[in-house]
Formats: sequence, structure tokens, C-alpha cells
Amino acid sequence: MIKVQGLYHSYTHTDVYAVKNVSFEIAPGEIFGFLGPSGAGKSTTQGVMTGLLPLQQGAVQVAGYDMRLRQRELFNKIGVSFEQSNVYSKLTALENLEFYGKLFDVPTLDPMSLLHLVGLNEVARNKAGTFSKGMKHRLTFVRSMLNNPAIWFLDEPTTGLDPAISRKIIEIVKGKNAEGTTVFLTTHNMQVADELCDRIAFIIDGEIKLIDSPRNLKLQFGEKIVVVDHRVDDTTKREQFSLVKPDDMARLQTLLQTGKIEMMHTKEATLEEIFIQVTGRGLL
Amino acid sequence: MQKLWTTFVKDARLSYQGIYFYMEIGMAIMFVLVMLFAVPENFDRTQTFYALVEIEALKGELSELVVDGGDYQVELVDSRPALEQALAANRSAAGIHVRLEGQRPVLDLVLQGHESESMKALLRSTFEGAMASQLPGYVNRTTVVSLESTPARLSDRVNILPIYLVINVAFMGLFIIAAYVFLDKEEGVIKAFAVAPVQVWHYLVSKIMIMALMAVVVSTIVVISLVGFRINYPLLILVILTFNVFGSVLGLLITSFFDSMTKAMGALFFTIFVLMFGGFSYFMPWFSPAWIRLLPSYPMIFSFRELLLEQGDVAYVLRNVGLFMALSLLLFIYTNYRFKKTLTV
Repeated sequence: MIKVQGLYHSYTHTDVYAVKNVSFEIAPGEIFGFLGPSGAGKSTTQGVMTGLLPLQQGAVQVAGYDMRLRQRELFNKIGVSFEQSNVYSKLTALENLEFYGKLFDVPTLDPMSLLHLVGLNEVARNKAGTFSKGMKHRLTFVRSMLNNPAIWFLDEPTTGLDPAISRKIIEIVKGKNAEGTTVFLTTHNMQVADELCDRIAFIIDGEIKLIDSPRNLKLQFGEKIVVVDHRVDDTTKREQFSLVKPDDMARLQTLLQTGKIEMMHTKEATLEEIFIQVTGRGLL
Repeated sequence: MQKLWTTFVKDARLSYQGIYFYMEIGMAIMFVLVMLFAVPENFDRTQTFYALVEIEALKGELSELVVDGGDYQVELVDSRPALEQALAANRSAAGIHVRLEGQRPVLDLVLQGHESESMKALLRSTFEGAMASQLPGYVNRTTVVSLESTPARLSDRVNILPIYLVINVAFMGLFIIAAYVFLDKEEGVIKAFAVAPVQVWHYLVSKIMIMALMAVVVSTIVVISLVGFRINYPLLILVILTFNVFGSVLGLLITSFFDSMTKAMGALFFTIFVLMFGGFSYFMPWFSPAWIRLLPSYPMIFSFRELLLEQGDVAYVLRNVGLFMALSLLLFIYTNYRFKKTLTV
């Protein structure tokens, strides 16, 4: 669905690159997360993939279209939700969607249904300029769904939203993905990436450091430790047992046989911990 | 074409909710009110001369200048202090003192000090001629030949209109269209537009159409208010559209080199400043060097002038319409190419 090979991009047209030798492929129906701190090259990569930035060096194919040619028909197949809300403030929410809907050559979704989906149906006829930041963000988000895209580019889709709305957005993305939509998700929110993505790429200083599934990363970088809360006399004691050290394994087995265990869980590494481990840097 | 129409309708809706549309209308109404109520149809150009004439035979001849020229008025005074007092009271007037030195008449011009050398020479010739006509056997053989094919002139009020129309139609368009594009960039909506299956030229032509609509509405209101219905309105609208499109395309081209209004301001002001030079030759026809005649504003102003004249040169106007259409097309092709590269960068 998406193929990026040896992508370089320089804003100054010099050898100072915002992204360097970036390569990856995304299969149809996959949710691919692009994770990194601000200025890492996430938006630049997405900019080239969506035609907002010219392809300078390398090869990029999106839905079978060569991005060097920048064919407008491609935009019937993709949807782009921007991190910064960008709607016409002097038009109503409904007018915003109706306007963009008329620009597509493919059947589009009903604007009112989309507004309903993100809880903006009540304010459909209010000017977008009167909306809060979160409401504008939701409007920007549903606008990217108008053409029922086969490939959906989402840039920080839950940033600035309250937990309930964030949950709603995540469920919508899951639902569209279940229908077969391929998703390219740019975020620095590890929980969202962890929940949604089939695979993730860590990008820092314009270079991809690692690509894998969250599960594989956790297996690879997480500690093989079990944390157990158990009763000792009348108190609860917490202990850690290694799953590779024979002594610890023997003690854990003994404890299991006593039946005094209250809680027990494996200690997985979070994506954030893995990111720091891999790149030596935090996400913010 | 449906996408262009959709974009145009959206832009029209945004425009009539924005400040620029009302600014244009407001300025037009203000201009019409000033022209109708503060500016006379024709300014009073009567030149007053105070004359101290000590030769009795010339008094009648000098007084007749008033009747012949129409633009002169001679008032006789009876002493030199009275002459100087009158000149001090009326700073636009000039004075003459005709006296006898022995048996010879002598003419003193008494001036304010701000008159040019050519004006001094003209005054001297006028009054020397008036005195020479008193000589026996004097016959006036002077004939006047005008090289201009259409010597008809506009009234002073209408004479300002070509300048106003060029400013309103071409220059303001250049500035406002830049403001519209930068507003879209600022709101980020240009990025959303760029990821829709539309062509860049849809975006540009829609903006040009908005500017053209505004120019036609505003200019027609002004021209009807000041000139009435005696001119060729279909041709006027064609000229407004053509010149406005040229101004808008020029504005878009300049815009394509910058990413904010602040950065583009210098280039926009410089362009308008240079184009204003065309107005110099309009008000001072003796100053029209080749470099001014090459400026787009020069043929624009004179095309409007020809349109407003009762017997204007339609062929000249149509030639300029053709020229600007061709120029606009070439400029637009380059502008479209520039925007494809820079729309979202």
C-alpha cells in the first residue's frame, strides 16, 4: 500500500537533511505507527507521502501512485488529518464538510453522519471559528474521512482531546481499520500507538532506528520478571522473580503450591521505556 | 469546472464575510461622495492680473483680454502700492505695470516669486502682444495646430477617474489577493485544499474570479455615479476584467515567492510604487519617457481615459485588452507553475 525507499529531504536544499535514508513498507490493512519526538522527521516524512512536500530524493509509492509525479487522483484514495486544526473559521462545521465533499470524484460520506460520529451534530450549523480547540480538531479529523479513504494519514489524532473523546477517536480508527483501511499514524503518544499499531517505527534525528510490532518489542526489550503479591503471616509481601534464574523459578513454584498468592503479573516494558532504551532520548 | 465553481462559491461566501469586500465598497462610496460634493465639475482656472496702466490708450486693450481668453481676468489698479497690496492678498495672481519712459512704453511684470521661467516668458509675450497690437498695420497671423487626434478633454471631476479605476482595479487587487492567499496559509486551510483531488489552478482562478467580481461591482458603481450611462459599459466591463486579472495574477506571482504577508509587503509596495509612475505621465503629458510608457499602468490609465471620452479611441482600448489578456495568460502559466512548487512549502 505504501512503499518508501531511501527517502531524503532537505528544507535548505543542502546536505542538512530533515530525514535521511528512510525506508519502510506498509501492507494493506495495517496500522503503522511513526513515533518520535518533535523535530524527529515524522511530519516531513508524512508531508512527502501526502504530496505536501516535494519528493527530492528516494522513491515513495502511495496506493500505487509514484509521489514524484504528484497525481491529483491519488487524493481520492487517501485522507489526511492534520495535527493543527485547519478548517474555515467563517464557515459552519457542516459547510466545511460539504465544501470538501464536493471536491472528490468518488462517493463521499454524509457530512451530518460524520459530525454525529464525533459529537458535533449539535453544533453543525455553528461557525467553526466559535469552536474550542478540541472541537476544531474533531472537525479536522472527520473531514479526513469524507472520501472513505483506503489509506488514512493521522497526525496526532488524540492530542488535546479529553479522555472520552480520545477513546471515541481510537474506536473509530479501529473500526475503519477493521473495514480494511490502512492507517499511517504519527504520534508521540505511546499508549495510543501501543493500542492501535500493528507495527511501529522509531524515528529520531531524521533516521529510523527500529521497526517492529509492539509485542515483539516488548518481548525483546522487556524484562523476564514476574511480580507476585502474596500473604506472609497477616501481611502482603511483594516480590520479583526472574523467569530465567533457576533459584527464582524454584521459589516461584513453591509459592504457587502454597496457594497464598494474591496477585501476579509479568513486568512488561512500555513502548516509552523501549524508545528511551533504543534511542537514548525521551519523546518530549 | 464543477470543482472550480464549488471553490468560487466558497471563496465568495468567505469574501462577503470578510473585511476587504466592505473596505472596497466603503472606499468607493467615499470616493463618489467626495467627487460629487467636494470636487467641482471643473476647477476655476481664471488667472487674475492686477494692472497698473499709465498709458491711457492701452487700458481698453488689456481689459479685452478678459473677453478673448476666457481664462484671464484683468483688474486695473491706480498706484504701485495698490498693485503690490492686491498681489499680497491674492497669491495666485500676477501684476503688470505699464509706464512711459520718455516716449517709449515700458512693461514691468510684478510677480509673486514662485512662477517658472516659462510662465514668466508666457506672461511677457502675452502683454507685449497686447501692446504691439496697438501699432499701426499690426495683423495677428498666429494659427494653432493640435497634434493630438482627440483633443476632447474630460471634465476635471471625470479626469481623476482613470487613476482611481487603475488603483482600484489593478493595484488593490494585487494587494488583496495576496492577503487572501496568506490568510489561507495562516489558517492552514491551504494544506487541506492541497490534499484534495483538485488542481492548483482551481485555487488560483477562484481567487482571481473573486477579485474580478469585486472590481466590476465597485468600479461600475463609481463610474455610473460620476459619468452616468453615456459610455460603452460592455467595453468598460471587459477592460475592468482584463486589467483586474492582470493585477491579480501579478499579485499571485509575487505571493508565490513569500510565505507570509509581512515578508511579501516590501515587494508588493515596491510594485505598486513603480506602477504609480504611469500616473505622472497622465497628469503631466509632457513627461512620458519610454520607461514609463512601458509600465502596465500607462496603457491602463489611457485606456480608461479613452473609454470615458465621448469620442474615445476604441481601437486603442481593444489593442490594450488583447495585450493584457496575452500577458496575463503567460504570467498565469508561470504563476501556476510556481504555486505547484510552493503552495504548501
